[in-house]
Amino acid sequence: MIALTVTTVPVSWSAIAPEIVLLSCACVLLTCAIFLPQRLAHPVGAAVAAGAFAGAMVAPIAQWHDAPRTAFDDTLRIDAFGNGARLLIFAAGLLAVVVAWGMPHLADRAVEYHALLLAAAAGMSLLAVSNSLVIAFIALELFSIALYVLVAIDVDALPGLEGALKYLVVGSVGAAFLLYGSALVYGATGQFEFDLIAQSIRHGDAHGGVLLLGIAMIIVGLGFKANSAPFHMWTPDAYEGAPTPVTAFMSAATKTVALVLAFRVLVAAFGEDSAIWQDAIGALAVASFAVGNLAALRQANVKRMLAYSTIGHTGFLFTAVAVHTQAAARAMFYYLAIYSLMNIGAFALVAIRERELGRPVLIDDFRGYAYRRPLLALSMVVFMLSLAGLPPMGGFIAKITIWSSAVDVGQTYLAVVGVAATLVGLGYYLKIPFALVDRDVPIPESPYRPAFAVTSATVLATAVAVMVLGIIPGPLLDLAQTASASLIGR
Amino acid sequence: MTVALIALPLVCAVLIGFLPLDRRVSAALGLAAVLAEMVLAAVAIVTFNVGGGSQFVTDRVWIPNLIGGADVHFHVAMDGLSMFMVALTAVGVASAVWTAIRAGRDRLSLYLGLLLLLEASLVTLFTARDLVLFYTGWEVMMIALFVLMGVWGGERRRFATLQFIIYSLAGSLLMLVAIAGLAVEGHSFDLGVLASQGRDSWWMFGAFALAFCIKAPMFPLHGWLPDAYRQSTPEVTALLSGVISKAGAYGLIRFAVPLFPATAYHWRWLFLGLGLAGLLYASLVAFRQPDARGVVAYSSVGQMNLIIIGIFVLGPGGVFSDNGLTGATFQMVNHGIVSLAAFLLIGLVELRTGTDALKSLGGLANRRPVASTVFLLAALFALAVPGSSVFISELYILIGAFGYQPLLGAAASLGIVLAAMYMLRWYSAIAHEGDGERVDATTPDLRISELAVAVPLLLILLVLSAWPFGVMERIG
Repeated sequence: MIALTVTTVPVSWSAIAPEIVLLSCACVLLTCAIFLPQRLAHPVGAAVAAGAFAGAMVAPIAQWHDAPRTAFDDTLRIDAFGNGARLLIFAAGLLAVVVAWGMPHLADRAVEYHALLLAAAAGMSLLAVSNSLVIAFIALELFSIALYVLVAIDVDALPGLEGALKYLVVGSVGAAFLLYGSALVYGATGQFEFDLIAQSIRHGDAHGGVLLLGIAMIIVGLGFKANSAPFHMWTPDAYEGAPTPVTAFMSAATKTVALVLAFRVLVAAFGEDSAIWQDAIGALAVASFAVGNLAALRQANVKRMLAYSTIGHTGFLFTAVAVHTQAAARAMFYYLAIYSLMNIGAFALVAIRERELGRPVLIDDFRGYAYRRPLLALSMVVFMLSLAGLPPMGGFIAKITIWSSAVDVGQTYLAVVGVAATLVGLGYYLKIPFALVDRDVPIPESPYRPAFAVTSATVLATAVAVMVLGIIPGPLLDLAQTASASLIGR
Repeated sequence: MTVALIALPLVCAVLIGFLPLDRRVSAALGLAAVLAEMVLAAVAIVTFNVGGGSQFVTDRVWIPNLIGGADVHFHVAMDGLSMFMVALTAVGVASAVWTAIRAGRDRLSLYLGLLLLLEASLVTLFTARDLVLFYTGWEVMMIALFVLMGVWGGERRRFATLQFIIYSLAGSLLMLVAIAGLAVEGHSFDLGVLASQGRDSWWMFGAFALAFCIKAPMFPLHGWLPDAYRQSTPEVTALLSGVISKAGAYGLIRFAVPLFPATAYHWRWLFLGLGLAGLLYASLVAFRQPDARGVVAYSSVGQMNLIIIGIFVLGPGGVFSDNGLTGATFQMVNHGIVSLAAFLLIGLVELRTGTDALKSLGGLANRRPVASTVFLLAALFALAVPGSSVFISELYILIGAFGYQPLLGAAASLGIVLAAMYMLRWYSAIAHEGDGERVDATTPDLRISELAVAVPLLLILLVLSAWPFGVMERIG
């Protein structure tokens, strides 16, 4: 007689509270969409989504100082590292809702936009705390599929469809790598959970060759999601084609979650064997520095330029992963927060200019803009200087903390390559400030009349935040310290 | 006091740059700000306690635990050197602001705002005793300069600005990595703490020295200079040559050498050799320049290289020479004022004739007595006529050089002789001979409002000549 035992996994609602809030709000929205009159679609969608993002933040904030714990039979690890990433994702989502306010062409798909945004954020949130290769893959697919659709949400725009298709095809290849790598790691160690994999490797139970191949494939898969060269080819098209609020969200939240996963899986699961992957990540960082910054020099379209710039920033973030000390994790967290703010702000400004012009925005379209909208132009200067990493902006503190963590462990070459990349980066970041104050454009009789109040306010608020967090980075660095300490001891 | 010196121009920069003020209101506010700054600097000089070391100190924690337990402090203080650099900045920016208002630059509010931002950043970097604070001042200075050069410059301004940006940031970003490395090793960003640890690291010293020597500029890192000096507006060129080049020399004296004394000692011959080569090379090139700006630009390169020689010569006992250093620091003040005057005067000539090509000028002395007198005085100071403050400071450097290596002193003296030759050619080409093709009987003499810049600068030089020890005892 065969005894059937059904093992039930203990449920910890507080561990997945944010995901529950986000997904249930998404479901409510989609159900309501049937009954909602057209003109109410956008306001209701935005209100529910904003409420959901705010509500999702409650649990991570409440659990901030708790000791790390695992849940759902060790498949999730709720720690400040994951919760910090969650907060960044929800903040990015909130900003994406605000930036989309007043966006043309969204009216008849407003509900879907917000529901998909919530679904994507839920997937990212789960990924941020996943402690198992299986959960990580499921969460990755959850947010990726939502993003594929979001990129093409404006179904009348061909660039969006093209970008979405490329993203879908290339993103699926990346996911396949990650999945295959996970399978190989399971084959080598017999485990899916990060800490158990680490245990298995420590005890010498792992099969070396298969494990190596598995790690390599996981790194490739992560490289796709983190916009790392040479796996970046989908980035410019998807970023350019997607509606700008979606681009803003993708650039901030996807980057955050991909880097957090990369750091967590490499440190928690393969930390013992860091010699294997450290140089590989370093090489990806160098490649990203080179490809992103050099290609960005040639771009005329602002969104495309920012897309290549995001590839360049992966170089800095991968520098932190290659270093993988507590100081590096702290620097990476600070970097991600500032990076999300300045990128969303810059894309929001592009969205404003897009609406003014009714077409894609070129760098030349910012010529003389400082004399029309001085405050927005000043915000753009703040974003560009911060992206370039100049003081007193947040991007400067981000860079110096990453570099010092690299110098600290003797990986000075990454800092020096980063310097070269920064230097090249100035070549395109500074184009925009120079265009803004271009004197060859006649001074307009009167400034543009105020418009897009909500988006403009977002731009200003993010610019102030980028600058204040650069001048007074202490509190944010403390939060980053808590987050990093919850993952690694030193 | 120091904080007020930083805050005043910064606040005014924000007000003028961003409030939609009328042109005249902006001009009045800008002028009031720079004059008040000069008064503050003068009060600092008068109340300075001679022999009292660093004064007017403010030290607050700014960013706790930025890297590896090292706190960033908002630590500013003024010793004699800092104070005179601040005073030089105040004088330079004030004359630049007045010149800009008189020349009627377009988008004047933004222009004045940037000049004031430049002033705030310069005062910050001259008074900072914390590496991150210093670096912040250094980069903000560059950003303000990039815009001033790239937006208001001459026809080839874009190329000139790009070149300037690449040179500047190549140096400063490596310096940032060195700062990160210092903090990781020394667990502090404080200049005093780090200097007391006496580090010997060729790459960190190299990164610091590179940033400073590009800015100074030391031969052969001066490639950015000719275009930058020719394409900027006269007042920005005056600031570049008069004040910002001094920031490079100041960095060597304040940071590179004290932080890495052993490394600096070890590499002194590199700096002495390149400094000497630069002094002679630039002096010869200055002699061949076809334009007034070019002559003063290369003369400036030569003088800065002489200052670098003064910093790196050894005195008795195998330590860096007091005579050389005293001469170098005093020469920084003197040359700052001289090149401010020279470039602003060239600007006035350009305003009248639309060119600074020496072949189109000439005959300024006919019917224009005031202008020719002012030019002659400026030229005399620039060529270090005996009795002038410039002569005294150059003498100190040469005494230091002779004391260390007679051959070095002799070779450096050659540079001084060459200076006399090219400055006399410069003056002669502008003032003497017949009227140039762009000069005629209607070309006006200097106006009172223009003298308001030139005369105070020359008066300062006269005061310094009459009472050089007033500066030297404070610099110590």
